[in-house]
Amino acid sequence: MLIKLTGGTVYDPANGIDGQVRNLFIRDGRIVHSLNGATPDQEYDLRGKVVMAGAIDMHTHIGGGKVTIARNLLPEDHRADPEPRRGLMRAGCGHAAPSTLTTGYRYAEMGYTAGFEPAVLPINARQAHMEMADVPLLDVGGYVMLGSDDFFLRLLSAGSDQKLINDYVAWTIRSAKAIGIKVVNPGGISAFKFNQRMLDLDEKHVYYGVTPRQILKSLARAVHELGVPHPLHVHGCNLGVPGNVETTLNTISGIEGLPMHLTHIQFHSYGVEGDRKFSSGAARIAEAINANKNITIDVGQILFGQTVTASGDSMRQHANAGHAHPDKWVCMDIECDAGCGVVPFKYRDKNFVNALQWCIGLETFLLIDDPWRVFLTTDHPNGAPFTTYPHLIRLLMDKSFRNDMLATINPEAAALSTLGSIDREYSLYEIAIMTRAGAARLLGLTDRGHLGAGAAADITVYTDQADKEKMFTRPDYVFKDGELVVRNGEVVKVVWGNLHTVQPEFDNGIEARLRDYFDRYHTMKLDNFVINDWEIEGDGRSKILVHPCHQGTRS
Amino acid sequence: MTALSFTLKSPLRQRLDASPLVPDRLLGKSPKEIATLDLQYGNRRIAAADLFDIAGDDAESVRISGSPKLDFAGRGMTRGSLIIDGDAGAYVGMHMKGGRLCVSGSAGLYAACELKGGIVEICGNAGDLLGSALPGNKKGMSEGVVIVRGDAGDRVGDHMRRGSILIEGNAGMYLGARMTAGTIAVRGRIGACAGYAMKRGTLLVYGSPVSIGATFNDCGLHTLGFLPLLLKGYQGLNTCFSETRACRSRVRRLVGDLSVQGKGEILLVA
Repeated sequence: MLIKLTGGTVYDPANGIDGQVRNLFIRDGRIVHSLNGATPDQEYDLRGKVVMAGAIDMHTHIGGGKVTIARNLLPEDHRADPEPRRGLMRAGCGHAAPSTLTTGYRYAEMGYTAGFEPAVLPINARQAHMEMADVPLLDVGGYVMLGSDDFFLRLLSAGSDQKLINDYVAWTIRSAKAIGIKVVNPGGISAFKFNQRMLDLDEKHVYYGVTPRQILKSLARAVHELGVPHPLHVHGCNLGVPGNVETTLNTISGIEGLPMHLTHIQFHSYGVEGDRKFSSGAARIAEAINANKNITIDVGQILFGQTVTASGDSMRQHANAGHAHPDKWVCMDIECDAGCGVVPFKYRDKNFVNALQWCIGLETFLLIDDPWRVFLTTDHPNGAPFTTYPHLIRLLMDKSFRNDMLATINPEAAALSTLGSIDREYSLYEIAIMTRAGAARLLGLTDRGHLGAGAAADITVYTDQADKEKMFTRPDYVFKDGELVVRNGEVVKVVWGNLHTVQPEFDNGIEARLRDYFDRYHTMKLDNFVINDWEIEGDGRSKILVHPCHQGTRS
Repeated sequence: MTALSFTLKSPLRQRLDASPLVPDRLLGKSPKEIATLDLQYGNRRIAAADLFDIAGDDAESVRISGSPKLDFAGRGMTRGSLIIDGDAGAYVGMHMKGGRLCVSGSAGLYAACELKGGIVEICGNAGDLLGSALPGNKKGMSEGVVIVRGDAGDRVGDHMRRGSILIEGNAGMYLGARMTAGTIAVRGRIGACAGYAMKRGTLLVYGSPVSIGATFNDCGLHTLGFLPLLLKGYQGLNTCFSETRACRSRVRRLVGDLSVQGKGEILLVA
């Protein structure tokens, strides 16, 4: 199949193309330099249209136990947002925690072609993969959660060799078919079960005697030494606690130059100034990030309305459970190895704290200079459902719209924020970096997020409009691996995405030790823990893509 | 003007969502528009005239022939009257805010669930979860009156917030479970676990004797001054609860459920 996309205005930051008119050629799902004189089977006239690679959401909770729990907890979320069968699309429902099919359709209709689930518990990875495999039109991948699991904490507290920890980390990534490692409230999920209700960066876990700082360093080093492209994905300590900006700054300096990704940093940027002892720490965070090139972040912007927060951080979710709206929540242990907390939440624009959270997220976006190191997320569904992305893009690209919105929120919060005095507006090029090129580079996806020859033909075509929310809500065309899947914001073909993974090398000696550990302590045998290729690919829908690790070559 | 009536041409073969057939949504529509109203019938859509013979012209007063498959009748209605001639399916009167809804037969599950106002009368029996909250919701019926001439099923008034449920027959298990407030009166017998986890509210029970949970505290026999006043409020509704004898009764007061807030009461009429 040969396709020609004629005369579009291309934004392809990975190849330094900023709004140039170009023709694009697709041969069998891949972008090529030219068709070598062959006649294209299809040609699309894209004159006057904006062409970007398919967008990548690098942190979105679309699979795994907590999403299922959120769905079970909130039948009203489904009743209030039914999605009847329409054309090729099967029925679904859900606003904050949509069903798998609806998730895929809605992402595709916004021009997204990949989404990464950031909290895959190793022991529940199979279920997460099954669920993600049921999301149509979207490439997926998962970061597997370590740092509060007993085996790792035992290794660390016994002062084990880093080599052994590396082997364990690599073995876990491979057997759970993940693309990275995430750590959630390092050690805190475990500490919660030992009756600690708080665990600061340098506070010892009462049983294992290790601190979050040690855990972060050990895991960040493991990920780095194994050559996994995506740096350690960190949901830090003290989420949502006023004053946690200090913890976050200590976390940044404490990692000592190792690559680290701080996720939903908005929830970790709170100061204690002012009458209400709650203030924005965004300026200090942005300054630290501008100065430390090893750090990347995604924002976790909140947007007003009803949503549900779903996290592995049972310690912090338990602390926030009193704010649940509607008034019901779940906090639970998972297989003695991790935790989970689901708290429905309504962000209100007239509420001081919520309004300031909104400002802090936007300040973070606007004060960090390098768009290659900041990513556009709402931590779906924790800050807002992913369907709010076009609105968020407009807030970033349109200063007067932003100031109009600022005028409607809690005036006390608005007065405390510097947001009104920030003039920056994101350009289309910068949006393309944040949502495409940067995300692909961060994850080590060499053939995604750009439009150069050899890239997979995941392409989104928009009509440039003054109202960026409208523009990004409804792309004209979306191609997934070279197939036209969305036309004028409507799904016209349903295809299934790929699973992105990495397979770092390790010494197989770890398996004997793990086998013994599984036999003694776990609810399943080691052989059942490891996910096989056929479990993903067996139904002929998803393909596993393995991205290279660069062991020892990175400095 | 005669009532706008929808008479089934043949018995329903699938579940029908009858929620568009309420005065609010029929007023101001021409006969042709009403005939072509799109209804959800099983897994497909169907025009109203394909299922019903439609006659009459007064959309303030609607009659529908009954069927146990007729769901959501009177959903969200705010005015006028709706009469179901025969049985109704599930969710009859759900989210209703005003007006009068009468089922001449029996109603299925979740009748009058999350009722917000108006009067619902069921001449036959009512199924489980009468006047309760939808699954997962925290607030059941919050205003209005429900009258059941026959028996009601289990979990009547689950999560009920305000309003009155008057049952002239018997009621099943878990009567008034998780109630926050409101009044449920039962003329006949009640099942086990009445008032389970109720915080506030009143269960007025005439049938005797009943088993009461251990988390209810017996406060003895009383002549409560407020009781005649409460029952007087139900005069005009044409129920057995406004008879003179009922108003003069002494009651045994049991307070609970002490496993939660414990400000509710079960009044057993002596």
